[in-house]
Amino acid sequence: MFQEDGSSSVTSSPLQMFPMMSLSPGTMSPYPWLKELKPEERGLYLIHLLVNCANHVASGSLENANIALDQISHLASPQGDTMQRIASYFSEALADRVLRAWPGVYKAFHSTRIPVVAEEILVKKMFFEFLPFMKVAFVISNQAIVESMEGEKMVHVIDLNATEPAQWCALIRDLSARPEGPPHLRITGVHQRKEVLEQMAHILTEEAENLDLPFQFNPVVSKLENLDIEKLRVKTGEALAISSIMQLHTLLGSENDQRKKSPSTPMSNGIGVHLQRVAHMNQSTLRELLEKDTVNGYSPSTDSASSSPLSSIHSPNIDSFLNALWGLSPKVMVVTEQDSDHNAKNLMERLSESLYFYAALFDCLESALPRASLERLKMEKMILGDEIKNIIACEGAERRERHEKLERWSQRLELAGFANVPLSYYAMLQAKRLLQSYNSDGYRIKEENGCVVICWQDRPLYAVSAWRFRR
Amino acid sequence: MNDSTVSGDSSSGNQVAPPKPAAKKKRNLPGMPDPDAEVIALSPKALLATNRFVCEICNKGFQRDQNLQLHRRGHNLPWKLRQRSSKDVKKRVYVCPEPSCVHHDPSRALGDLTGIKKHFCRKHGEKKWKCDKCSKKYAVQSDWKAHSKICGTREYKCDCGTLFSRRDSFITHRAFCDALAEESAKTQTLVAPTSPDEDKNVEAAASPPQSPPPQVSPAPPAPPSRASPAPPPPRASPALPPPAPPSQAPHPQFLLQLLCCPLFCLFRAQPSGNLYELLESTSPNPTTTQIPEETPSITNLTASCGGSSSSSSSNGSSSSNVFASLFASSTSSGSLHSQTTGFTDLFGAIARPTCTPDVPPSSSTEPVSLCLAMSQGSSIFGTAGQERRQYAPAPQPAMSATALLQKAAQMGAAASNGSLLRGLGIVSSSSSSTGPQEWSQQRLEPDGLSLAAGLGLGLACDGGSGLKELMLGTPSVFGPKHPTLDLLGLGMAASSGSTDGLSALMTSINGGLDVSAAPPPFGGGEEFGSKDIRRSL
Repeated sequence: MFQEDGSSSVTSSPLQMFPMMSLSPGTMSPYPWLKELKPEERGLYLIHLLVNCANHVASGSLENANIALDQISHLASPQGDTMQRIASYFSEALADRVLRAWPGVYKAFHSTRIPVVAEEILVKKMFFEFLPFMKVAFVISNQAIVESMEGEKMVHVIDLNATEPAQWCALIRDLSARPEGPPHLRITGVHQRKEVLEQMAHILTEEAENLDLPFQFNPVVSKLENLDIEKLRVKTGEALAISSIMQLHTLLGSENDQRKKSPSTPMSNGIGVHLQRVAHMNQSTLRELLEKDTVNGYSPSTDSASSSPLSSIHSPNIDSFLNALWGLSPKVMVVTEQDSDHNAKNLMERLSESLYFYAALFDCLESALPRASLERLKMEKMILGDEIKNIIACEGAERRERHEKLERWSQRLELAGFANVPLSYYAMLQAKRLLQSYNSDGYRIKEENGCVVICWQDRPLYAVSAWRFRR
Repeated sequence: MNDSTVSGDSSSGNQVAPPKPAAKKKRNLPGMPDPDAEVIALSPKALLATNRFVCEICNKGFQRDQNLQLHRRGHNLPWKLRQRSSKDVKKRVYVCPEPSCVHHDPSRALGDLTGIKKHFCRKHGEKKWKCDKCSKKYAVQSDWKAHSKICGTREYKCDCGTLFSRRDSFITHRAFCDALAEESAKTQTLVAPTSPDEDKNVEAAASPPQSPPPQVSPAPPAPPSRASPAPPPPRASPALPPPAPPSQAPHPQFLLQLLCCPLFCLFRAQPSGNLYELLESTSPNPTTTQIPEETPSITNLTASCGGSSSSSSSNGSSSSNVFASLFASSTSSGSLHSQTTGFTDLFGAIARPTCTPDVPPSSSTEPVSLCLAMSQGSSIFGTAGQERRQYAPAPQPAMSATALLQKAAQMGAAASNGSLLRGLGIVSSSSSSTGPQEWSQQRLEPDGLSLAAGLGLGLACDGGSGLKELMLGTPSVFGPKHPTLDLLGLGMAASSGSTDGLSALMTSINGGLDVSAAPPPFGGGEEFGSKDIRRSL
């Protein structure tokens, strides 16, 4: 068995039985020896099973996948230790993916689901409260906005996902405290739900009134992909700031779809847009881009027409969206995104990357809340679990959690006509202080090319960067 | 010119007698016109036309009626036509042509043509006139002129030398400036004390101090926040290096920036309630040591002017001496306060419990004020922090999921030797900070077998690593199209965080996997294992 001092001894541990078990599914239902597994061993075995199962799913051998899922079910549990929880959500995601092979069954299964809106909103609040990531993003975004709005009298801020008023309350306080006096502040919030926007309007107008800051809140009820830029009502003469927290990646969808279905009509849209942008890029950037862009997400089966590395970045939705934003000439656009590649075409690659990413997040939750905590359970299920399910089980337009590395986002934004605004030392400092207040030494923060990356131990999780309109 | 007249029969309740020509013109309330007045709706073009008065004979336009009359004389009109219509000039009111405007309704018409023109330009027009001193824009030229005259002329100046264009911000500052001055009277001061003022702004913004500041004499909650420190990042653009350690002179560049910046005295400005608390609870600490360490790591970031100063104060009275702190580098914390108004809330009371005792050590790393901010801050993040405090971590060192993944990867790697291991050399050398020590010891062991066995995974085969072996062994259709996400792959991703190595490994593994045959039972797994591993190399 496992020895503390590192010495080895070969014993006939129950684990030796595993391979045999996996080959003969019908042997026994409850594996009694499973109880004797130590947590580490169980964790390792779960990893093995997950990878195994994913292989089966990827290759289409659903029967084997079923067996693997069954085995996982004996070990995984959403109330267990981190690895057990991770395994339960990943196996659920894999099962979801398997079930989609039978669309009829899938639809029937999900048809009676009632989304509880209040719960969703509440769990996002919990994520904001118990984990520092949102707060750090807010602190850094606000700092970047305030710095760039120095001297401006008319400030217009667009929030692409207006859920948490705390960010803007803080901004209102900062702006009203600046020595040259508060500017006239206008915040436009975009969200699908009217009630959320109304609530936010109420809180923010009250805050602004208390501080005597001329303020106006404009709600825009819309999905991000259907957002009509005109509705944002950006006026001439006002300084524009855009804040996007984990929103842009949802627009990367249908990229894979296009490439799968019609490789012969390569990103004509994308390339067209790209060519416009090329005019904005200087030669060196283009060269770097061509050199840097790697295999990521690029399937060898597409034809040469779309084989320019630049096409892998392009996707009609995100391009037109960024283009539209660029057209508004924002003074600063602060983008917060997950810093991990969950957008590979290949399921196994996505599984691998997301295992690491979500393992870090689950570890983080483990250190933040006790195992019995209901809030933790809800966050794991409704936020992390849903993201995992989307990454693993969905394809095409349905897959919205298309996280990508910071580098790719930087390339994409540069192509779209934005220039990076390095985040200030002060912003970093504040973020550090914030993380320290969380009394957990797992959080790390580092700077990368003027952007700030929040990590758990060594695993980068979220990256915040600021951009400005460039001609 | 489109003239259309609508007789306005509004029920505005304003019963004013129609003005007689000789009587003094009565002014109606704005937007509530005389019910008998003639309502005139002009089109935007007509409204903005500069030459409204047109000679009917030659169609020449004039800006003023008098000029038109003068001109008409020149036409030698017969006497009759020369006269204007004798009936009393009916009072005219004008509506705004913009349909969505309040004044589009005849009952809200404006009585003055010039007024309606200006209104139209101001509200529905483009702002073409810009003040050159500030960035205010105007649609009406007269507004612009009026503003330019007073722009920059009316300034409030505090005794400390700070200039304000707004009265309210001036008053706010002055209140705190006095408090600052008072405090600094205790220690070295650079500013003459002035009488404190009440400031409603500050009160509104201040969150009640949570705990009495250790070293500051109890002051009334609202006014006291004198924040020495600086205004927010307005000065952030000049890149400033991080604060110099107290013992040395402030970084010369930093000083230069300060001196160059005309508003450097603003460091003393704009206090807020929260800032005060921050400052109050500052405990003295040298902040020096850690700061230089931070600098090298943050090379690209531009330092924010306000934020960068930090130093410890022996008396906890941050305030006074932003100057003192900057130049004498002996006083406390920082000019972060400006920012802290918002940020204190963000940091919230969560930190409160930890911060107070921790303030000394933690402030040794960074500008103190932010830490303090956390110690006092209000609400937003309050309760959660409390919960966190109370939660005790699990008793035994349960292995984190991240460590488990790395372990799994390494097990796969360690078992095999040769190229794969070399390729995974990165993995083996990286240390998992969370993993228990025994793992790293095992990781370094050359013997893959003992490794696997030690884990109790029970593969009694040489060089067989549990998980990889199992994967290879299980009946799966590993085609070249579906690179097995091997533990090797996992390992690469873990250590380097990039997928480059992953893809390379995948291709190498692919080759190996193609070779793997149908899995034999593991009882006799030894040879199979070794063979497999070697082939996959």
